[in-house]
Amino acid sequence: MPLATKLAGRRRLVIAVAATLVVLAPIAFFWQRSLVPNDLSPMTMGYADYGGGPVSEHVHHGVDVSELTGPPDQKPDVAVDLVARKERFDIPGRGPMDGFTLNHTSPGPRIVAKQGDLIQVTLHNDNVTDGITLHWHGVDVPNAEDGVAGVTQDAVRPGQSYVYRFIAKDAGTYWYHSHQVSHEQVQKGLYGVLIVQPTSADVIAAVHTYDKVRTVNGEYGERRVKAPGPTAQVRLINTDNGPMAAWVDGAPYKVVAVDGTEVNAPTEVSGKAVLVTAGGRVDLQVATDKPVRIGLGGGPTTLVIGDGDAPTGTQPTDRVDLLTYGSPKAIGFDPAKATRVFRYDIGRRVGFFDGKPGLRWWTINGHQYPDVPMFVVSEGDIVRMTIKNTSGQVHPMHLHGHHLVVLSRNGVTATGSPWWTDSLNVEDKETYEVAFVANNPGIWMDHCHNLPHAAQGLVAHLMYTGVTTKFHLGGAPDNQPE
Amino acid sequence: MRAAYRILAGLVAIGVVLQAMFIALAWFLAIKDMDDGLVIDKNYDGNIGHTLHGQVGVLAIPIIALLLLIVSFFAKVDGGIKWALYVFGLVVLQIVLAFASFAAPVVGLLHGLNAFALLSVASMAARRVARSGQPAAETATA
Repeated sequence: MPLATKLAGRRRLVIAVAATLVVLAPIAFFWQRSLVPNDLSPMTMGYADYGGGPVSEHVHHGVDVSELTGPPDQKPDVAVDLVARKERFDIPGRGPMDGFTLNHTSPGPRIVAKQGDLIQVTLHNDNVTDGITLHWHGVDVPNAEDGVAGVTQDAVRPGQSYVYRFIAKDAGTYWYHSHQVSHEQVQKGLYGVLIVQPTSADVIAAVHTYDKVRTVNGEYGERRVKAPGPTAQVRLINTDNGPMAAWVDGAPYKVVAVDGTEVNAPTEVSGKAVLVTAGGRVDLQVATDKPVRIGLGGGPTTLVIGDGDAPTGTQPTDRVDLLTYGSPKAIGFDPAKATRVFRYDIGRRVGFFDGKPGLRWWTINGHQYPDVPMFVVSEGDIVRMTIKNTSGQVHPMHLHGHHLVVLSRNGVTATGSPWWTDSLNVEDKETYEVAFVANNPGIWMDHCHNLPHAAQGLVAHLMYTGVTTKFHLGGAPDNQPE
Repeated sequence: MRAAYRILAGLVAIGVVLQAMFIALAWFLAIKDMDDGLVIDKNYDGNIGHTLHGQVGVLAIPIIALLLLIVSFFAKVDGGIKWALYVFGLVVLQIVLAFASFAAPVVGLLHGLNAFALLSVASMAARRVARSGQPAAETATA
């Protein structure tokens, strides 16, 4: 072969290799940068955001979250044993479903306690291979009882048990669910209802969508319950990933509680729907002297209270606006005196997340998980947070261990009853300003309760100074809270 | 390398055909599920058809198009790099159009149209290998 041809061939090869590197290098860079470490301490995750408060040194010898337990010695007033299994169960009105159960049912047993009771739940994992936990959604429990794998405990592996103990200090409607691989385990059935201080008028409507099947209290289609009396307190619980509009056909209603907190001076509503945030709860007071139908997001599943024919309506387009509903009253602290002010901007970007390419990966304050802000507070801080969503989709934002009060939406000040929430529906292009008092030391998740979104990294944490955690995300117990 | 070029270009074309099949499956299945009680709202995350369309669209086809581009640097196909760039560019455009369509569904029409452009260009790229024959240099080294 002539030398000239050989050299030309070699030069061509060099150019081809160089071109390959030019194409692959940026892709490899972004791919590698997006990888989430397999063993990650929540303590060292992301970057500290002090919200304008004092910058505290990184503490390695503070109180461990595992020490922040409920009362250790007191005798429980309500003791429940729950056994989690992967198995087939029956959805009345529909048929068998493969998923997860607690004591052979999904939803799991209803846990009912009086205000002030000590609840003790012993969780056993029979055969859920990924491991499980239980989180008490909306209950401001001590941190060690919060049930978040990798933050407050290790996932409970098959054959293991874990005991949760906490005082039911606030009356209201709550629920519980697994917080290990939760985007899969909750959807497939690891959840249940928790009521503190039940009333004789209670009608529970826990809505859950299994694989394509929307149910109320685990049942499909038109379900019926007896009227508890002339009025019913309908406890709506949305255990799904998206917001649900609920309404009443056949009677007006009052919204008497939101996320376990009573509404001050609720007024009568007719011809309107009320939005129940994913993970959120809304209690309605309904006259039940005639049969009424509770509409639950549309579709065939509804709940009829009373005997006989209940009217069938369609979803009203008007909504109860909790920003103006009810009457104001004191909230017990002054948000103007905030000692920490945070922003929680939810955006999205095209690129990689944990090595996977995608069109919409979530960002928090422009950063992608795990490089997300750690909101640092000290006990006693008054905290204001602005949650802004420009991500193109709705996000039900859930802060563990605390209740937030809504100050404004899109710059419009709240004028109704104090709107206390733990699960706030933030639509695309909406901005909420919220406030709370840092009164429950620990490390708390502050995340989107559309659980697949959380699994895609829409998760941050609220961390108290002087608190540490020995638990790790990933690692040997393979903790995957989302 | 020339065979790899032809196979990869062909795989992009097959990928586009699969995408049409998956999205048809997705919506016929969704309609049947709706008749069967499914509620499509903000809680609905799509079915197996949507998942396959998403996986093939943002993962499989882009990777194949990228490999085609890299192979084109080495394979001595007449105009091979140019056609591989066309394929890659149309794949990127297709993803951009998909992204835009979530906000403005009418853009979805262009997403559908661009699929045919990608199918044609990928097929033409594959056929260039057969047409251009064995170049002198490769014959010499063989």
